[in-house]
Amino acid sequence: MTDQEILLAFTRILRDLLADDSIVLTMDSTRADVPDWDSFKYVNFIVAVEMELGIRFGVADVESFKTVGDIVAETRSLLG
Amino acid sequence: MLFNSYPFIFAFLPVTLAGFFLFGIRSRTWALGWLTVASLFFYAWWRPINVLIIAPSVLINYALAQLLRRLSADKKRSGVARAVLVLGIAFNVTFLGYFKYVNFLGTVLSDLTGTNFVLTQVVLPLGISFITFQKIAFLIDVYARRVVSFTFREYCLFVLFFPQLIAGPIVHFREMMPQFHQVSPRFDSENIAVGLTLFLFGLFKKAVLADGIAAHVTPIYESAAVGGDVSLFPSWIAAVGFTLQIYFDFSGYSDMALGLGRLIGVRLPPNFDSPLKASSIIDFWLRWHMTLTRFLTAYLYNPLALWLTRRRLAKGLPVLGGRNFSTGAFFRLLVGPTMFTMFVSGLWHGAGYLFIIWGLLHGVYLSINHAWRLFGPGLWPSKETYQRFMRPIGAVLTFLSVAIAMVLFRSPTAKAAIELLKGILGLNGISLPQQILERLGPLTRLMQPFVSISAAGTTQEFALAIAWVLVLLLIATALPNTLQIMARYGPAIGVQPGPADGATKLARALDWNPTLPWALAMAALGTASIMRLGGKSEFLYWQF
Repeated sequence: MTDQEILLAFTRILRDLLADDSIVLTMDSTRADVPDWDSFKYVNFIVAVEMELGIRFGVADVESFKTVGDIVAETRSLLG
Repeated sequence: MLFNSYPFIFAFLPVTLAGFFLFGIRSRTWALGWLTVASLFFYAWWRPINVLIIAPSVLINYALAQLLRRLSADKKRSGVARAVLVLGIAFNVTFLGYFKYVNFLGTVLSDLTGTNFVLTQVVLPLGISFITFQKIAFLIDVYARRVVSFTFREYCLFVLFFPQLIAGPIVHFREMMPQFHQVSPRFDSENIAVGLTLFLFGLFKKAVLADGIAAHVTPIYESAAVGGDVSLFPSWIAAVGFTLQIYFDFSGYSDMALGLGRLIGVRLPPNFDSPLKASSIIDFWLRWHMTLTRFLTAYLYNPLALWLTRRRLAKGLPVLGGRNFSTGAFFRLLVGPTMFTMFVSGLWHGAGYLFIIWGLLHGVYLSINHAWRLFGPGLWPSKETYQRFMRPIGAVLTFLSVAIAMVLFRSPTAKAAIELLKGILGLNGISLPQQILERLGPLTRLMQPFVSISAAGTTQEFALAIAWVLVLLLIATALPNTLQIMARYGPAIGVQPGPADGATKLARALDWNPTLPWALAMAALGTASIMRLGGKSEFLYWQF
């Protein structure tokens, strides 16, 4: 998957999770930029990504992601 | 040594700064070394024996961290690294547990068995709750390889750095050390101006505002514990007044910490962002004691929720994904971890039943807020109408929920808490001073049948208390906060000026700049604060 494809998948998963089709994610997006993307929805998002792409993030990494781009980069490296 | 005391302001701080710049002539290493020594002195001032208590814990944590650093570099030994991490966390929790909870455990055992257990009476070393959390975070960061190298000197400075030593902000090694490496130990007029302004804002919030309203709030709690007046008005003054008091106290302390760091060119993370303007409880916790929320979310809530959610998915059970809802998932994946996290938060704040209930109550608030987020917006025709109507309602509800919970936080006894909560609901009747009741115009006749007359000589006190509450409420909810006023000069990590078009006229007028009017204003605030010092007035959060 390219970064762009991963980003599109993230956008779809998050739109579904927050029931908000107006969400547009970029590499620089942070959780604060997306209304209602609280810590609970964040954990759900992470697990939904893991399910869909068949990967597993390190617990410590989950906490240290700052931007959506960070999650994309880690996803790419986990997908190999 | 208290930040708001003469010895700190007129002796420790000038001497520490002078030493920092003098040693800075020689080198940065010397200047930072001086800071470490000064910090140790700062800690020892209150009770020198504290140093002996805290030193072994500091040294053991250093040894554990070095071990972790070596183990985590080697993938084959990740199992051992994990074991050492667990051991390290257990050590810190036990250490805190012994000093903070042994007395409480005795109470619980006595209550459960109906006997009188007296475990050793332990005196709490200053700031131990904050120091412990910070060290746990450090061990986890080393384990996760977010910190890959550190020397003993760096570690000591990080742990002891006096602006954040006693009551936070709870900082991470990785956000502090790069700054220390770049600190210029030369006199820098911008850092001094911004640092002093932050410090004086904080001092004013603490010494004038928080201590000022405390004089009207404390007596209500004290008298509630011994059967005093807990009718409607005093109960509400107690709840709202204490909420304002603790906000100005702790955010004032945090401003002072930010200012002290800035005097030597170091930025600390923000701890308060006008929490009393929050539009929901979730929003409140993102603005109140932010570094504690950050810690609890990262190291407790996230791992727990992640583990539960993954486990549930592995079993093929529904989770709370997308537009479907399952009650089981809601309780197991959201309410469970939330309640547990807030329970720990309550217990961390204080060893007592009321603190635990306070934490659990906030857990309930948060769960309701999350449930509302799942269902609430669907009840409205559009997102915009929902936002427009619910934001103000949410803000009022949030403030009231926080204030009512604060009664549990502050009450000296469970009985006082119950009486005050009944008073808030009006179950203890309404009483007003005679002179006030007479001057309510048309309301006087309307209220007469329901209102009893409170004890003579309370009129002035009643009016003053109401005035304090109203003025502080206005400051907390209508004025920009310190970080916003100073935003242009980067007062805290990650704080930048907001979008200019969104700022109100008032916010623009209060934008801080190193100008003569601001200098005069800060001198006035500073003078007012200094004149209020002297009495013994500890920060509320220093006892935690």
